[in-house]
Amino acid sequence: MTRNGARLVTALRSALRGLQGSAITSAVAVVTIGSTLVLVGAFALVVTNMEGMLQRFGDALSITAFFAPDATDEVQQRIAATAATIEGVESVRLVTKAEALERFRRGVGRGAALLEGLNENPLPASLEVTLAPAHRSAEGLARVAGSLDGLPGLAELHSGQGWVEGYLRAVNLVRGIGWGLGLVLGLAALLIVANTIRLAVLSRRDELEILSLVGASRSFVNLPFLLEGLLQGLFGGGVALLLLYTVFRLALPGFEFGLELVLGGVQPRFFHFAEGAWLVAGGAALGLFGAGAALVSESRP
Amino acid sequence: MQLYHVSKAYNEGQFALQDVSLEFGRGEFVFLTGPSGAGKTTLMKLIFAAERPTEGQIVVLGRNAPRLGASAIPPLRRRIGVVFQDFKLLPNRSVEDNVAMALEVFGAPRAEIRPKVFKILKQLGLAHRRDHHPLSLSGGEQQRVAIARALVKEPDILLADEPTGNLDPDLTLEIMDLIASTATRGTTVVVATHDLGIVDRYGKRSVRLEGGRVVEDAPAPGGAA
Repeated sequence: MTRNGARLVTALRSALRGLQGSAITSAVAVVTIGSTLVLVGAFALVVTNMEGMLQRFGDALSITAFFAPDATDEVQQRIAATAATIEGVESVRLVTKAEALERFRRGVGRGAALLEGLNENPLPASLEVTLAPAHRSAEGLARVAGSLDGLPGLAELHSGQGWVEGYLRAVNLVRGIGWGLGLVLGLAALLIVANTIRLAVLSRRDELEILSLVGASRSFVNLPFLLEGLLQGLFGGGVALLLLYTVFRLALPGFEFGLELVLGGVQPRFFHFAEGAWLVAGGAALGLFGAGAALVSESRP
Repeated sequence: MQLYHVSKAYNEGQFALQDVSLEFGRGEFVFLTGPSGAGKTTLMKLIFAAERPTEGQIVVLGRNAPRLGASAIPPLRRRIGVVFQDFKLLPNRSVEDNVAMALEVFGAPRAEIRPKVFKILKQLGLAHRRDHHPLSLSGGEQQRVAIARALVKEPDILLADEPTGNLDPDLTLEIMDLIASTATRGTTVVVATHDLGIVDRYGKRSVRLEGGRVVEDAPAPGGAA
């Protein structure tokens, strides 16, 4: 084992001894970090699922461009060719007046009998423009719609841009609330961890003095406290993840109907491994920074 | 180890040490004697950089101790073994852990530390007490743990403040023999003591302090270290 490895093992043993020695204050720090991360994690879950839904519906996001009544077949073909060259367009499909009528007939089912009395097909021909995956966003829709708008021969554009923008605003609002609450609670957790570590430093002042007298460096003395904070954060993060998962699994069946209304047919999902790891890492960072802040304030004369 | 015109005042005008100039050679064994408050402990604190002198220079192991920055002090202290008058043992750690601490700060692995600790505890008659906590030991045993902690790292300098103060006469001689033997291995040994009987018995250089001043620096009879 290298000297640094041995130092780390010694520090880890000391940190575990410290956690054991101040079990109650350490538990308070773990619970605080855990509560903060449960809240932040819950918001992150909602945002993740809302974004997932947008992604899912994004597959169906398209622009329908209706031709003017006087647009000839030749004009329609030319516009279709032009639209296909616009950046962000994956495919273009020309729907003729006859095809539109046939679709309508199929769509209304028995009510199709109503169409029998019409002398003329009232439905316009149209272009169905599908966006490339990378452009399936409010900005992508706006950009492509902007390029189509004003092309001679087109009468009207329909796109889901307004809906997408509204939905994104809702996602951003939820995300903002999550960040705001996370920031406030994170700060509180940081202060509690800092105080826990400060208490630990004070209760082990004799030990630190002796360590210093036998030649321990500042880093040797500080490392166990940093590890203590880190471990508190890791425990807090782990507890938060476990709690979120349990609630997600247990509570989901009870909310299925409501979720279907909000998310449509999209199945809600829990965090992926990497996302869960980020949550735990967030806890570890809170613990580490809290401990660091305590050591900095304790080292001031 | 050299001290040049060293003075130390804790309060303005009240000197614990005044204009002390001394030189200790490598492997030399020196007794510091004098009444309580003579400045023996202060002198030791200055040597291992626990205090800075008010005036003067102190060169320890080639380093100017008072001018060392915070990061340079720990490496110096790792080369100095100190036996404190109040032992400075951790009551909630075992005897073995208390002694091992002196090697842990070097970053030595546990597998390397354990045999060394066991060896020194055995030498000091404490091997059977290694799992005990200091508070369950007698004063003499606690003193031996403090000595073990100072010696286990085979220091270049050994500073011992009243190392036999709590020991019975037989054990005193045993411990002093052990301390004296470290000097023969090249360690500079400075022992502060009230016990003039020991000073006479070992026949080493003796520096007498009174009121913070060196009043006598008696070389070892026959020039022996």
